[in-house]
Amino acid sequence: MNSEPPIVSLQKVCKIFPLEIGGQQQVLFDITFQIDSGDFVAIMGPSGSGKSTCMNIIGALDSATTGTYELYGKDITTMTPDELATVRNEYIGFVFQNFNLLPKRNILDNVMLPLMYRGLSPDDRIRRAREMLKLVGLENFESYLPTQLSGGMKQRVAIARALSGNPKLILADEPTGSLDSKMGNEILRFFKKLNHDMGITIIMITHEFEIAQYGRRLIHIYDGHITFDGPVPKNENVLLKLDKEHSK
Amino acid sequence: MTVSDIIKESWLSISGNKLRSFLTVLGIIIGVMAVVIMVAVGETVQQSITDQFSALGTNTIVIRAGAARRGGIRSGNRNTLTITDAEQIRRLPDVMSITPAQSGSAQVIYGNKNWATMMLGTYPDYTTIQDIEVENGTFFDMTAVKNASTYAVLGPDTARELGLPENPVGEIIRIQNMPFVVIGVMKARGDSSFGSQDDMIIIPITTLKKRLQGSPFPDSVTMIALKIYQDADNAVVTDQISALLRQRHRLKDGDEDDFQITDMKQIMETMDTVTGYLKLLLIAIAAVSLLVGSIGIMNMMLVSVVERTREIGVRKAVGAKERVIIIQFLSESVLISFIGSMFGLLLGVGLSQGVGRFILHYNVPFSAWPVLLSVSVAIVVGLSSGVMPAIKAAKLNPIDSLRYE
Repeated sequence: MNSEPPIVSLQKVCKIFPLEIGGQQQVLFDITFQIDSGDFVAIMGPSGSGKSTCMNIIGALDSATTGTYELYGKDITTMTPDELATVRNEYIGFVFQNFNLLPKRNILDNVMLPLMYRGLSPDDRIRRAREMLKLVGLENFESYLPTQLSGGMKQRVAIARALSGNPKLILADEPTGSLDSKMGNEILRFFKKLNHDMGITIIMITHEFEIAQYGRRLIHIYDGHITFDGPVPKNENVLLKLDKEHSK
Repeated sequence: MTVSDIIKESWLSISGNKLRSFLTVLGIIIGVMAVVIMVAVGETVQQSITDQFSALGTNTIVIRAGAARRGGIRSGNRNTLTITDAEQIRRLPDVMSITPAQSGSAQVIYGNKNWATMMLGTYPDYTTIQDIEVENGTFFDMTAVKNASTYAVLGPDTARELGLPENPVGEIIRIQNMPFVVIGVMKARGDSSFGSQDDMIIIPITTLKKRLQGSPFPDSVTMIALKIYQDADNAVVTDQISALLRQRHRLKDGDEDDFQITDMKQIMETMDTVTGYLKLLLIAIAAVSLLVGSIGIMNMMLVSVVERTREIGVRKAVGAKERVIIIQFLSESVLISFIGSMFGLLLGVGLSQGVGRFILHYNVPFSAWPVLLSVSVAIVVGLSSGVMPAIKAAKLNPIDSLRYE
């Protein structure tokens, strides 16, 4: 029996945003799910469905308006911004659609960034960052600036940065959104390899079913509600039908 | 995050935009340089005045004949002082040396050379009071004063203008057509704000009064100068002299003094205060440019926060705490300010010392406090101009920052 707590546990999470013109808008409604260690979950939904808000809450970048969120058994719902920063640094590795590398820092510096905030010694940082660059096949590019790399290479640097802190969870937000299909597939295969070979938990946000198929489990969000949560279905029609049902 | 990390991160951020950073640093360089130069100018003026007063001696008191002002009209030329007054003042316990003195213009002839200069009749104590050294020969003594001897001690410029030989002792010069024996030449002292001290002739007071001026009041003089002991209190001695002279001159209560007492220590203190304010004024003017420079840093940092919004978002996403972001931005502004201050200090000291020594030929005093000032400016300006942008950066929402285009 697995004694480890779930990596992610959301209980009746709601998110309400105040609107600039007055009033408020609820974008998530009673979201409840758990993600266990070693899982590869795709959170899918159309634009405006609330999947990014859900990712922000899971990534400790935002907090739920109501409900509770436990990350690896820790309730982070009421944490301060600095406590959340520590949680992000120790538990989560982010991979963004637009890479979000620091343009004026070389590749090695970019990969070392989370380690610097963790307080590792410069030698340990360099050693760990080089290991990660080797893992993503960029060991010969450590002195390059991000602007000197292709999109696929940039995303591999971002993955190396996400992995450098040895996180419990990789959160990938539309990781292939800025890449062509060949490079996109390469990155997705790499995620699958990381999950399969190293047992790293991956949550991937996407609006494309083809990409979601790389995961083992799919959580489909529509209008702020979970309309599907289970193994990735064979085709998208199931999801579309559920969305239609929900719209009624 | 270690201190070296902070410095490295700050340096990389600053050097990432070289021109803008250079222009911002330039503002601080100009500001600090202006302050350092103004401090040097102020201290030079203060030092110069202090030196001149010190040459006269702070324990020197000068009494001039005549009231300071009567009915709105100055009447300082009346010879209300006497040699006897000086002798009476000498009896005061704190008086170290004293001389009555009277000046006048003199037409001096040596051979075929003719020179117009200032002539001063004194006692031998004048050398002690004015710290005069005789380079060639000697100064006259009290016997010469008693005998109204026709001895003359010349300033070095006077001796040169008259074309006297290198050792002029024993040479005869004519003052107002009366022959005088040159018994000594004073050591050069240079110009002061009180006029040249090197172009003058000093003769016994009695010789001046009786022989040259043929005064009907040979006892009267225009000035008495005295030196008091170092541990004596100038104010106490001044009061004693005032009381003594009022008594001797039979002045009633309510009558104005018919003499003016000038205490060099008091004047020097007043001048010191005045030059102190002058220095402050100069620094205040220069500080304005420093203020403008610090606003430049703040402006640059605010722009930098906007430009680096996404970077801040990334840093926060990977674990940077608010205080780390604050430290990073503060250290950038402090580093800019520090670099500017150090260059400003070097340029300021270099220019003030260089211009002072090589162009004005004046020894500009070098004090440590511009260094302290520069370091303080680097910290204070850097922190004060960086704190607002740093807090702004730290408070950015990571989600909005990551989405920022």
